[in-house]
Amino acid sequence: MNGLPVASALSLVHVDKRFPGVHALKDVSIEVRRGEVIGLVGENGAGKSTLMKILSGVYQPDSGKIEIAGQPTRFENAADANRKGIGMVFQEQSLLTNLTVGENIYLGNEAQFTRYGIVNWKALYAAASRQLSKVQVDVDPRMRADDLDFAARQMVELAKALTLEEHASDHLVILLDEPTSVLERAEIDVLFARVRALKSRASFIFVSHRLDEVLELSDRIYVMKDGAVVADLVAADANITTLHHLMVGRSLQAEYYREPLQKAFREEIVLEVDELSLGNAYKNISFKLHAGEILGIAGVIGSGREELARTLAGFAPHSSGKLRVANREVHLVSPAEAVDIGIGYIPRERRVEGLVLFLPVAANITLADLENLTRHGLIDAREERRLATSWVDRLKIRTPSINTLCLNLSGGNQQKVVLAKWLNAKARILILDHPTRGLDVGAKEEVYELVRAVTTEGVAVILTSDTLEETIGLSHSLLVMRDGEITYRAEANPGHKPSQIDLIGHMV
Amino acid sequence: MQNIFARLGPDKLRQWLPLATLVILVAVVGVMQPVFLELSTLLQLASDTAVLFILATGVTFVIMLGGIDLSIQSMASLASVIVALTVARYGYGAFVLAVAVGALAGLLSGLAHVRLKVPSFIATLAMGGVLFSTALVSSKERSITLGDVDRNYQTWVTGTVFGVPNVIIIGLIVLAIAHTLQAHTRFGRYSAAIGAGEPAAYASGVKVDRQKVFAYVLSATFAALAGVILAGRLASGSPTLAAELLLPSIAAVVVGGTAITGGVGSIWRTLVGALIISVVRIGMTFLGVNIFAQNIVFGAVLIAAVAITIDRSKIPIVK
Repeated sequence: MNGLPVASALSLVHVDKRFPGVHALKDVSIEVRRGEVIGLVGENGAGKSTLMKILSGVYQPDSGKIEIAGQPTRFENAADANRKGIGMVFQEQSLLTNLTVGENIYLGNEAQFTRYGIVNWKALYAAASRQLSKVQVDVDPRMRADDLDFAARQMVELAKALTLEEHASDHLVILLDEPTSVLERAEIDVLFARVRALKSRASFIFVSHRLDEVLELSDRIYVMKDGAVVADLVAADANITTLHHLMVGRSLQAEYYREPLQKAFREEIVLEVDELSLGNAYKNISFKLHAGEILGIAGVIGSGREELARTLAGFAPHSSGKLRVANREVHLVSPAEAVDIGIGYIPRERRVEGLVLFLPVAANITLADLENLTRHGLIDAREERRLATSWVDRLKIRTPSINTLCLNLSGGNQQKVVLAKWLNAKARILILDHPTRGLDVGAKEEVYELVRAVTTEGVAVILTSDTLEETIGLSHSLLVMRDGEITYRAEANPGHKPSQIDLIGHMV
Repeated sequence: MQNIFARLGPDKLRQWLPLATLVILVAVVGVMQPVFLELSTLLQLASDTAVLFILATGVTFVIMLGGIDLSIQSMASLASVIVALTVARYGYGAFVLAVAVGALAGLLSGLAHVRLKVPSFIATLAMGGVLFSTALVSSKERSITLGDVDRNYQTWVTGTVFGVPNVIIIGLIVLAIAHTLQAHTRFGRYSAAIGAGEPAAYASGVKVDRQKVFAYVLSATFAALAGVILAGRLASGSPTLAAELLLPSIAAVVVGGTAITGGVGSIWRTLVGALIISVVRIGMTFLGVNIFAQNIVFGAVLIAAVAITIDRSKIPIVK
């Protein structure tokens, strides 16, 4: 580590932050040196988001100070932090999809191209082109943002953050908040290469749930737990096990995916697809799903696996081929039809499609099966309370009460409510679309355990995951898709799981 | 956790604010004019509130879903015209006809909204225009006074039972039916779910379009019922009979604490809201405010109520 740069770019010194009832940050000190990539890891609720919001000027610390290049400073708000050289690349992509790339890059900063209220678009687009070349992305700044794929949009966000160079007086610090969550492996490689290449221009703080990526990209890693920094590690000296141990206070065990609980599935075929196709999305897909089986589908964006999962959940009717559920041929044109025949969908967009956030836990749990709660046209409120209470107990959903709005639950507990909804509706087939996205390690483990438990009872699962590791770890059987077709099939029995390398070759 | 702690206080406050407002208003007007608190005045107040409450109740179902129905006052006026034109020939059948036309109009608005994907405020604004013109043309642009024989058919509206005006009893029946629908049936629950999070409701297998169409049918049906009652009380039918009622109706829903964005609300709140509007109206009369200036107050009240009932920390962007 001789080449490690030492000049400080940004530091937090003994920062404390409290919210009503929560001590969010406890005496946190971190230092970001010039040209360094800092990894920031911790479970949900560890204080990462609060820390990022302080660094980006959204919150102000209760005590402690912020220093830029060793000089004490204060961020009045996000715009002020921007002016002082703090850029942010958001988890939720923040580009406005109906504007062009160039308009997005200079959104709110058009003044430099404006005379007498008229924008000189030619100058703006020329400047945008220069920004895009910094991140080496081949995108026409006159394209609309919604014509770009997620990877390109992420690059545009990075280019946008780099425009701060033009007016910030000092070295930039760019906060990368879960930038890889919607990217596939090849795209992540490109992003990481760009970040490394930009180290001469900026320092980075990289927040991610994916520990392997944090290890890969970072120079140093801060580990947070319960609002405090519990470790400051040189990435080269760390590994996933030590990080995991520091984050949760226990080590990652071999049975992370509950492989010992993986029981052989049953003979009974609950779902069968035969030469199923949907336009350009996927074609000639055939497989059988058995009761108690977890079928993992691997593939990059564009492989068609997402659309296939949406078809099975009733969102995107297939255009040809056969889909049989419980030996009956069906053509699902709405989720209502899928729900009627026992298919439940656990979406990646948990807060949008999974839950009605502004309804209580109880109402969410019973939402998919109110028919069976209705007596003489009226909802049986007592039975509803009883059911909801029993699901909260069985799935160990941590909520103050069954009347609490789902909005106020943590991500892991929200996901358990979604699961409870489908178990309550007696779904026989669950479509798990990125079921652990945005969950911390502890919450993931609980989800894995529940998925194992329901399959033991004969529920069949179709799984599309963020990581190959999770797909392989959980599944009984694996399908790999590429360009809309199945390119590889494999068994994944405990102790004989295929490796990630085995699958990647068939994905790209 | 911070959410729970930060929101518990204001949320509880927000919930009880409408009822507290009503009690305070009644007390204030009562102190200024003790006659206001006499039984006969209160019965008069309740009778006057009934039509407004029924209109507001119908539109509550639509607002719960996150939509709006701007056709209710035209629907109510058209219903009064239908009654005035046909009661001589069909007797009680005239009321059934008027309410059936309401159901049909609601069905058409609902279908235009969900099938043609026209935003509800446009679909119902357009439907309101159609209904208003229909009323104008069929009444030959005049107010039709009911004859003495026709008025015999109106006693179910104008009569009393043990001194209680029938119109109050009708209002209470509407309250019971609407409250049951909203609080104890699948339709009510689905409406709240759709209003609060339509994609999640859809993904959970809720037949969203069907619920929406039903809400518009209810809204227009209740509006027609309100028009029928208004015709009975005023002994006439006219294309402008309910012309000043749209603003107070929507104000009643929102003042009661039902969120204009949908998902949160109840029929009880609409009752409280309708009573607040009535008390304010009577209070203004006592204070000598010009009757034609009242919508200035209701407009201001509506904006204030929406501003108070929306928790801005939950809804960052309003269009």
